[in-house]
Amino acid sequence: MTTLAPRRTANGKSQRSSMRVDSVQEKPSYLSTGILILGALYCLFPVIWVVAAASKDGTELFSTFTLAPSTHLWDNIVALTEYRDGLFWRWMANTALYAGVGAVLSTWVSALSGYVLAKFEFPGKTGIFKVLLMGVLVPGVILAIPQYLMLAQAGLTNTYWSVLLPQIISPYGIYLARIYAAASVPGDVIEAARTEGAKEMYIFNRIAAPMMLPGLVTIFLFQFVAIWNNFMLPYIMLGDDHLFPITVGLNGLLNQGASAPALYTLVLAGALLSIVPLVIMFLLLQRYWRVDLAAGAVKA
Amino acid sequence: MAMTVTKPGPAADTAAGTTRRAKNFKSRVLIPYAMLAPGIILFLVFMAAPIVYTLVLSFQKKKVSGLGLGKGSQSQVFAGLENYVSALTDPEFLGSVLRVLLYGLILIPLMLGFALLFALLLDSRRTRAGSFSRTAIFLPYAVPAVISSLLWGFLYLPGVSPFHFLARQFGVALPSLLDPNLVTFAICNIALWGGVGFNMIVMYTSLKAVPSEIYEAAKLDGCSEIQTALRIKIPIIAPSLVMTALFSMIATLQVFAEPTTLRPLANSLSTSWSPLMLVYRDAFTRNDVFSAAATSIVIAAATFIISFLFLRVVQKRAFGQEN
Amino acid sequence: MRKSFRAGAVAMLAAAAMLTAGCSGNSGSDNGSAANDPNQKVELTYWAWAPNLDKVVEVWNEKNPNIHVTVNKQDGGDPAVTKLLTAVKAGSGAPDLIQAEYQKIPTLVAADALADLSGTEANETKSHFPEGVWNDVTLGGDALYSVPQDTGPMVFYYRADVFEKLGLSVPTTWDQYAQAAKAVHAADPEAYLGTFSSNDAGWFTGMTQQARASWWGIDGDAWSVSIDKEATQKVAGYWGGLVEEGIIDNKPMYTPEWNTALNTGKQVGWLSAAWGPGVLSGNAGSTAGQWKVAPMPQWDAAKPSTGNWGGSSTAVTSQSKNLDAAAKFATWLNTDPEAVKALVTETGIYPADTEGAKSALTEAPAFFSNQPDFYDVVGDAAQSVSSFTYGPNVNVAYNAYNDQFAKAAQSKQKSAFLDAVKSMQQVTVEDLLQTGFTVK
Repeated sequence: MTTLAPRRTANGKSQRSSMRVDSVQEKPSYLSTGILILGALYCLFPVIWVVAAASKDGTELFSTFTLAPSTHLWDNIVALTEYRDGLFWRWMANTALYAGVGAVLSTWVSALSGYVLAKFEFPGKTGIFKVLLMGVLVPGVILAIPQYLMLAQAGLTNTYWSVLLPQIISPYGIYLARIYAAASVPGDVIEAARTEGAKEMYIFNRIAAPMMLPGLVTIFLFQFVAIWNNFMLPYIMLGDDHLFPITVGLNGLLNQGASAPALYTLVLAGALLSIVPLVIMFLLLQRYWRVDLAAGAVKA
Repeated sequence: MAMTVTKPGPAADTAAGTTRRAKNFKSRVLIPYAMLAPGIILFLVFMAAPIVYTLVLSFQKKKVSGLGLGKGSQSQVFAGLENYVSALTDPEFLGSVLRVLLYGLILIPLMLGFALLFALLLDSRRTRAGSFSRTAIFLPYAVPAVISSLLWGFLYLPGVSPFHFLARQFGVALPSLLDPNLVTFAICNIALWGGVGFNMIVMYTSLKAVPSEIYEAAKLDGCSEIQTALRIKIPIIAPSLVMTALFSMIATLQVFAEPTTLRPLANSLSTSWSPLMLVYRDAFTRNDVFSAAATSIVIAAATFIISFLFLRVVQKRAFGQEN
Repeated sequence: MRKSFRAGAVAMLAAAAMLTAGCSGNSGSDNGSAANDPNQKVELTYWAWAPNLDKVVEVWNEKNPNIHVTVNKQDGGDPAVTKLLTAVKAGSGAPDLIQAEYQKIPTLVAADALADLSGTEANETKSHFPEGVWNDVTLGGDALYSVPQDTGPMVFYYRADVFEKLGLSVPTTWDQYAQAAKAVHAADPEAYLGTFSSNDAGWFTGMTQQARASWWGIDGDAWSVSIDKEATQKVAGYWGGLVEEGIIDNKPMYTPEWNTALNTGKQVGWLSAAWGPGVLSGNAGSTAGQWKVAPMPQWDAAKPSTGNWGGSSTAVTSQSKNLDAAAKFATWLNTDPEAVKALVTETGIYPADTEGAKSALTEAPAFFSNQPDFYDVVGDAAQSVSSFTYGPNVNVAYNAYNDQFAKAAQSKQKSAFLDAVKSMQQVTVEDLLQTGFTVK
């Protein structure tokens, strides 16, 4: 996503980003810093709220001032862990599997397709790209029903596969990968490898993919979040709650039917816990969200 | 992945006759298609086929005989364009389209405006706390819409909201954001919260890719920071703006999770508030996949047309860049 | 066309299917083998949403090593039925057993999702259940589609401490209820005796049932729809009047706001069902010992009656390959004294089995320990449930209730409540006609 428009590309002229911070320190502007911090507080506020809310027991949650924290965070986490023998952690692991493995596979398929579409000339290329790109426009909610009916024919509903497989294809990922490949894999590098007799898949796996790597991390993150956010597909595909991802699982705790109370304290603690790994991943991989494509390319 | 392999190289160029044509065909057609196969097959199975299936369903309907209770008393029959006619003339569908258009008109300018503002501020050398703010603003992107809507729901409901609590302490009665005339803003806010950081990062990255000599030159010419932003930076990242606008439009047409999660909290949202909610209701609550399929096709077609026209206008900028 | 498409879809998925060879995902009931040999081990899957039901099933599994039941917990009645209907449409993926609410049975039968149990031992359980309940699972015919599990006879919960403080007596008629509502709201402008919830169609249906409405009917080969009739109009008009007057709240139940109001004493009463203690203790645990239960306020005190809200049964799906084993389990779960007792203690339901309820429900729930005769009140209510017939498109009518009454509640006008009833009738009839039913 970071480089929807890599204006400066393969010639590697524009490597200013790393140097710029060190250049002249200018006078700070309180106005612009203030606006930015207001924006940050707006975005942090619900997160702060959920930290406070997750620390309350059931009665406090519905009787005390909502921003005042309490002391029951650990109790809630224990209760959540005890809920049906640790089902919550199973949901977390499932989510990691769906989003992690799904995003890796998706990134590889996207990278390969994008690379071919950018670097090969073959009949039907433009048409294929356009058709793939149209996939961006199709809402997941619409696809979920027919996908269910088809996977049921193959006996695959209510399995890990039913959630993993449909999310490997990502038209958007292919679109991005095509841009990255065009910008970061020079044609003469490929030609040179071919001259030396390298096989095409070898060239892709060992030469092109590493050059595209910063961009591929972006696709990975993008797809990871997309799968993580996709509620409808697992909701429809899965009947066994041991296969649920976290979103569907928490939703179930909220909607237990009229004759059972909604487990708000567990849901809020679960919501908080579920955000934590993503936040850590974002912080660790943060620099890839501003990747400058010009940095990595031609030197190979 | 077992891939067939060629040995191109100099020999291919000098080889004669049939061998050459065969190799040419192999490297020009077979290899690219073999390498595209995983993507194409997955696309066909999990996107194209479901769409075709939806099309098939949209021309059918359920037919019962008698009380509809015995075995085989319900069957599937050809419906012609009936489902489409009723979708397009359904006042609920038209209402949901109008609501979503209004929602988009409010949301997209706000979202892109704030994203651009934050991106420019981040890019300004005079802004401090940039790294903290960037992370904080981007953070909500990691929160699934189902969860973020639940959190905001708590913050909206007057009985539990800290805003209403504080206002009451000062003797002020705030209106509920879940009232019918404000609920669109309530949904916009959730979408804005979740999406502004993502768009900001896209624009910020484009800004980073602009060579700094341009700014130095502008500075020498006596441009103020604001002038530089308006006259140089924004035009340069226009392609990013176009693409974020397009994807925001698509996301707007598909709004579903936020209103669905908020709906049980108040009386102001119907089960057909947005077009996709209507599809969901028909397919799952009313158990009529056939109407739902027809409405889906109408929505998908509308999305295609809108995006196509939009891209037509800006295509050169968005796609004319590789090689 | 459909056939060939299916073939195509299967072919395309063949590659994907081969991948599963190495993956032992949960493939539901498909692997179950025919259970003719009593010593052969049978695996049954059971979709249910009642909390802790798996613990009751554990008792069965210990005793019956040859028929092993696995509970797959669902998100509540609507999602479970939705998934079952989709699985039936797809031809595979359904469990063997499903917890089915009574109002869903006609829909499920119409979609051919349920197996007929009349040839199994479940057919012998008739004497365990009240006639009205048995009617719900047979649809008045010879077939048996489900074994009743629990019912939700409606009762009135109220804050005894608040009533005492205000000097109010417990309302026995709806007129008295309105007066009490007025008094509660006058004493504290933020407090209400109850709320009209546009989210809970089952709640409203139960109240019209009390007023002796019956929204559907069978007339030979045709269905009749009588939503917009006197009984329902009376109930809707009554609540519309209270909301218009402002003495009853108009916000939905089961929201965080409603929970807060229960905790802080701003909701002073709740018209609910026998399973109410579980919800109250979960949502407002701090108010334990302050609530009491009473019979529903009556339209005609001389002829007391009530409705049902909730209640469900155990059905065997049409895709199950182990009909007899599944029926055996369903019979045990809902009529065996030990199982019924476990259902009461683990899941907190009110059993449909009349004798079972009597022997299992000896002690008031902990939340109502201040009221030893709790189950006498509820038991009397269970005896006075009016009959009610559900039709094949309850989902459509309930959905119309959500949308129409949300608008009405928001407008706070009595006339809007009556219009909502009219719309519900219209939407429901139109849907039946459009699908090809004959409607009289």
